[in-house]
Parts: sequence; structure tokens; C-alpha cells
Amino acid sequence: MRRTGWTALPVALLIAGASFAQDPVAYFRQNCVSCHTIGGGRLTGPDLKNVTQRRERAWLVRFITNPKAVINSGDPTALKLKDEARGVVMPIPPGINRELANALLDMIEKESALEESQFKGMTIPTAPFTAQDIERGRALFLGREPLANGGPSCVGCHTTVGLGGLAGGKLGPDLTRVFERLQGRQGLAAWMQAPATPTMRSVFRNQPLQQDEILPLVAYFEDRAKAPAVTPAGPASFNFFLIGLLGSVVVLVLFDIIWKRRLRSVRRRQVMDAAKEVLHGD
Amino acid sequence: MTDTAQFIDMILFIVLPYVAMATFFLVSIYRYLGRAFTYSSVSSQLLENKQHFWGLVPFHYGILVVLAGHVIAFLFPRELLLFNRVSLRLYILETTALVFGLLALIGLVSLILRRITEPKIRVVTTPMDWVLFVLLFVQVIAGVGIAVFYPWGSSWFAAAMTPYLWSLVKLQPDIQFVSGLSFWVKLHVVNAFVLIGLLPFTRLVHVLVAPNPYLWRRPQVVRWYRKPGGELAESKTGRS
Repeated sequence: MRRTGWTALPVALLIAGASFAQDPVAYFRQNCVSCHTIGGGRLTGPDLKNVTQRRERAWLVRFITNPKAVINSGDPTALKLKDEARGVVMPIPPGINRELANALLDMIEKESALEESQFKGMTIPTAPFTAQDIERGRALFLGREPLANGGPSCVGCHTTVGLGGLAGGKLGPDLTRVFERLQGRQGLAAWMQAPATPTMRSVFRNQPLQQDEILPLVAYFEDRAKAPAVTPAGPASFNFFLIGLLGSVVVLVLFDIIWKRRLRSVRRRQVMDAAKEVLHGD
Repeated sequence: MTDTAQFIDMILFIVLPYVAMATFFLVSIYRYLGRAFTYSSVSSQLLENKQHFWGLVPFHYGILVVLAGHVIAFLFPRELLLFNRVSLRLYILETTALVFGLLALIGLVSLILRRITEPKIRVVTTPMDWVLFVLLFVQVIAGVGIAVFYPWGSSWFAAAMTPYLWSLVKLQPDIQFVSGLSFWVKLHVVNAFVLIGLLPFTRLVHVLVAPNPYLWRRPQVVRWYRKPGGELAESKTGRS
């Protein structure tokens, strides 16, 4: 217990950073809206409207502060929630503690009482996207059209089928099937509004995607998800490596040519000349 | 993420960088003030110069170009991301970076093999040199591996690594940028800090007093007037 104590304190201080005395509205916007709405229907996680009436507060606080522990304890409600989220386990919200969990629940209670909560989520059109939407999404993905708030374009870390050339990045996951993974338009849009993974959250925290950028990107991903099969990422990496290897061989040859009069040609000739002198001269 | 994983990340990405930088500055200055004549690459070119060329030249040009790329991404992330907006430009930049990364790797492997196979060179190799070779090898192989398997680094370095490094500079470390990255990227970052921390204890100090004109001056000719029999007639080192 002592060990957990002395590790947990600096971790909470340094990693959670600004979460202390944090405004629950700002906290919810930054950490929860990628999976939850209040009155906007289910995303990856359940709609939280009136959640304080559905469950006991003590249980909710316990779950919010450590979802995995509650699930692992075999709690039937937690297991049911996990099933409904297709096995996705809610991560421990960064910097969470009992006070913050209670503040969040108070805020959710207030928001639930409103006719329309600010966390209702984006209104996503149900009509089919147009070819222009998809094309603009592709331009945003590739960075041809820069993101308005200065965020990096997707292609630096992600790829999808049909990009051509040497394809997209592979630091992050392949996004060809992300539309299915995040369960459609609503879930995908919510995720892009407030990305849930540490790297994405950090990168986009101060330069979020705008709503008019999210929609075309959703259109692009929806279109990619229809692609027949996922091409393996192998060939692009291999081709890239081969091009690099070829390039370095060319540079090595260049080095040899540039320094053709290097030390070797001076000294070795002298040594050879001297050797000849010794052989023939004596 | 568990507490333990977060704790390890804190040690590796907050404590280690500051310890490394402090060691780097303090020991470099101390060594320069106290033992300035040890500031040297301790060249072994005189003992063996054929394989030396195929190690030294590709390694130095490779590593210098790649390091310059890292510095540019650190100083001008926004401009770099704008440059990468056009896929062709991104691909050309990344391929160039890979070419020079591979040159550094080829050069380094050649230098390590030379140290192992040349008896004359092995004699003048210290244990710290071997430590340095291992660290450099890990660094360069991880770098090339990242370039190939986790593209496109020029973009994601600017997006995620640059803010992390600046958070260290500003004394407000934010490891969320790096905590979710893959093992190889983390290894590359951690090993880089280890190298910086160890730099003043190794022959790498020569980078701090690098005679930059060496990069473009004409080759230097060192003449030995030695009779093949071994008798030293006259030895003279030329300027050039």
C-alpha cells in the first residue's frame, strides 16, 4: 500500500496536471464526450442522461474512479455495460478522484434536467454523403487542406486503403475500418471531437478538429469502410526500405568518387613504390 | 495505464532527460576546464585507413543529416507540417531521411566490425568505446526501424515529439505525448537521453569541439617516410 501511495501522488500531480480543482464541464468535454453523450444517444459508452437516477451514486463513483476493478470484481451491472460496449472497457479517466467524480455526477444531473444538454453530441446528417464530402475528407486526411486550428493531418500517423504512393503513416492504427470500429457516424464524430487515446488527446487538445472538418472526415472513413479488402501494409514499407537502400548505395558510390584521391591513393602508392625500390634497387 | 507503468514513464521521460541534460552540461564543462586535451575523437585513422573511410564517412554524413532533421523538426514543427502537406514532398523528405539513416547504420556497422577484426584497433579500444558503440547501434537501428515501420516520422515528430521536448524545456513536462507511443519509439527517445548523459564521458565529446571546416576541406595527407624494413627514416605530418 505504501508503494502505491508514493507512486500515486507524483503521478497524479504530474500527469493529471490541470485536473485539480477542474471545472467538471471542461473536464467532461475533454475526457468524456468521445464515448458519452447526455441525451444524444449511445456512442461507445451509454447515454448518461439521468444516470444518477438509474444507479446509486456510490456505485457510480466507484465505477468512474476505476471501471476495470469493478468489472473484474464480477459486478453484474458492470459486466452488462461491458457487453453493451462490445467489450470496450472504459479507461480510468485521467486524474480522477472521488471529489471530481462527484462533481461530474452533479454536472450530469444538472445537464440531464435541461431540455437540451450542451453534451447532446454533434448532429450528424443521416442522408448519404456526397462525392464532394468524401473528396474533401480525403484532402483533409492527406493534409492537402490543412486543419483550421493547426492540428497535424491524419496521414502522418495513419493510413487507409487506396492512398497510393507510399501510403500513410503507421504510428497509429490503420483507419480503413475505423468507421465500423467506432460504430458509425455518431461514434466516429464524437471520437474526433475529443480523441480518447493519450497521444491523440495531447496533440489535439489545443488545436481541436472543427465540426466542418469532422463531417467530411466521417464521410471519407465511411467510404473507406466500404472498400472490399484491407491491403496489408507490408509492400509499402518494403518498397520504401528498398528505395532507401538503393539511395544509400548510390550515395556510397558518390562518396567513393568524391574522395577518389583520398589518403589510400597517396600512401599505398608510396608504399608500393618503396617496396619496388627495395626489390629492384638492392 | 497502471500506476507502475506511469511511474516508469515518469522516470524515463521526466527524470532521465533532466538528469541527462544536467550531467551533459556539468561534466562537459568540468572536463573542458580540467582536462581540455582529452577533448578528442581519439582518431585511429593512422592505424588503419581503408575500412576507416567506409565507416567514418557514411556514418558522419548520415548521422549529421539525420540529426539536423531532428533539430529542424524541433525548431520549426509548423513549417515542417506545412511542407509535408504535399504527399510527394513528404515521400521525398522521408526517403532522404531514410537514405542518410541507412548510411549512418552502414557506417556504424563498418566501424564496429573494424574495431572487432583489426587487432591494432582493438588494442586502442576502451570499454567505454564499446558501451558507446552498443548505444549508438541501438539508437541508429531503432531510428531506421522507426523510419521503415512507423512512418511518417517527420510529421509525427513535429506533432507529438516536439511539444513533448518543449514541455521539458519549459520545465512543465507533459509525458502524455509519449506515453502511448510504441516500444521502439520510446526506446529511441530513452536511448537518446542516455547518449546525451554519457556524451561527456566518451570520445563523443569531439562533437562539441568539431572543426567544422573538416566537412568540406580537401582530404588531409599524412605522409609517413618509413622504409619497408621498419626502420623509421623520418616522420613528418603535413598540414593540409
